[in-house]
Amino acid sequence: MKSILFNIGYFIKEAKTLFKINLLSNVFTIFSTGLILFILSMVISGWWISNEVVRVIEKESEINIYYDEGIVKDDALKLAEEIKGHEGVLEARIVKKEEALKRMEEILGKEAQVLEFFEDNPFSGFIEAKIDLNTIDSVIEDVEEMYGITYIRDNREVLDRLYSISKILRILGVIVVVAVGITTLFIISHIIRLGIYNNREEIRTLRLLGAPEGFIATPFLLEGVLLTIGGGALAIILSNLTLEHLFTMMVGPLPFIPLPPVESLKTGLVIITTLLSIFLGIAGGIFGLVSSKVK
Amino acid sequence: MIEGKSIYLRYPDGTMALKDINIDIKAGEMVYITGVSGSGKTSLLKLLMGIEFPTSGLLKILGQTMEKEEASNIRRLRLKLGPVFQEFRLIKGRTAIENVMLGMRFLNLTPSEIKRASHDAMEKVGLEHKLLTPVENLSFGESQRVAIARAVARKPSLILADEPTGNLDVDNAVNILELLESFKDINTSVIITTHATHLIKNSNYDKLIHINNGNIYCESLGCSI
Repeated sequence: MKSILFNIGYFIKEAKTLFKINLLSNVFTIFSTGLILFILSMVISGWWISNEVVRVIEKESEINIYYDEGIVKDDALKLAEEIKGHEGVLEARIVKKEEALKRMEEILGKEAQVLEFFEDNPFSGFIEAKIDLNTIDSVIEDVEEMYGITYIRDNREVLDRLYSISKILRILGVIVVVAVGITTLFIISHIIRLGIYNNREEIRTLRLLGAPEGFIATPFLLEGVLLTIGGGALAIILSNLTLEHLFTMMVGPLPFIPLPPVESLKTGLVIITTLLSIFLGIAGGIFGLVSSKVK
Repeated sequence: MIEGKSIYLRYPDGTMALKDINIDIKAGEMVYITGVSGSGKTSLLKLLMGIEFPTSGLLKILGQTMEKEEASNIRRLRLKLGPVFQEFRLIKGRTAIENVMLGMRFLNLTPSEIKRASHDAMEKVGLEHKLLTPVENLSFGESQRVAIARAVARKPSLILADEPTGNLDVDNAVNILELLESFKDINTSVIITTHATHLIKNSNYDKLIHINNGNIYCESLGCSI
């Protein structure tokens, strides 16, 4: 342990020397590892975003209950009160047709001018009910039976689709993580094996001088970590630029998609990619060392 | 320090390199192993360095039995040895002082102790002005001196030099042998193999072992150089 602490500077210097000896191979390794990790970070981002969308939609789970436009205001209020008293309904209030129009104008933003083509307000008033997602089926069943109710719009279909997308991305994420892991392990271990082969005489000399295997192996492990961290850094830069671009493209035309804050997504990706890089570097290094025994 | 009884060494290709070797070397002795090329002196030194193991017989160095099964103990034993290889085995791309320091990095010494010991060793071999020279830029003689500095900086109990004069002219060769002999002290034995017997005529050795065809042909005063 004491020997390792005293030699940290030496190990780093040796790792740099190993890197320089196979400079071109190592640079290519960094690029290929970077691109592989970039693909991984994009899949993770997709999964993250879909999860966030599901979470927001689940949190804001609500149904819009449309009633016969012929009923009087007092009856509509009574209907809202009755719905509010139902088990699983957290809140129920009437949204007037004017408010419905205003909401759509906010959602459409600059595009709201299309609404000016209508002579009258095309929206109807409705009862907006926030409900516990677990009771959505029974609530809808009971409310449909109520007098004056014409139509209920819920977001179950949207949620189901998002669940499916999220599930697919999760499975895809696991497959990509495994594929990336194995590919990176092979690439790194190959480079380490190459380094060990190129330095076999030095390794023999160190053994003849009595150097422990750990002392001999550490610079090679560091080289592996250096390569994957380099690849990870490249992946982080590429994914940050891509996410920035994608978010700018999505926020304008698709304002109703509840995207997570881009900064938290970027920070998360930096942490995940860095940890994964270090892990893959160490694992690849160990794999390379174990599979190339210099006699 | 070194005790060997009825040692035989047969290589995997069937060559019998050493036959019935008996040796006894005590602490602080200066020993030459001589013989023509292919006589078995390097094979004997390989046994002493733990590179090869006896096919039969018993070999003990500093109390450690030299057997293949004892690999981890033999690694620890190597920490007490100061090997000087025929082909130097210096690490390329590093300076002379880095090579000397490298031999000490796993001896549980502090960085300042390593630095001091390696500077002292380089001074002893007369290369204090070549500390930062890359080993590729050193002459044969200088490379051999760096290899010796790497061996002695470790303050070993046993210095083992394999044909240290092999690539050197007569003057340089004599200087190297005198230098190696100077490291012999009460705790440190020096064993040198050489085929150039004419270089050691005036040497102050304690023991001379002459090997011929894998056998000890004569020993000490029985040998006429």
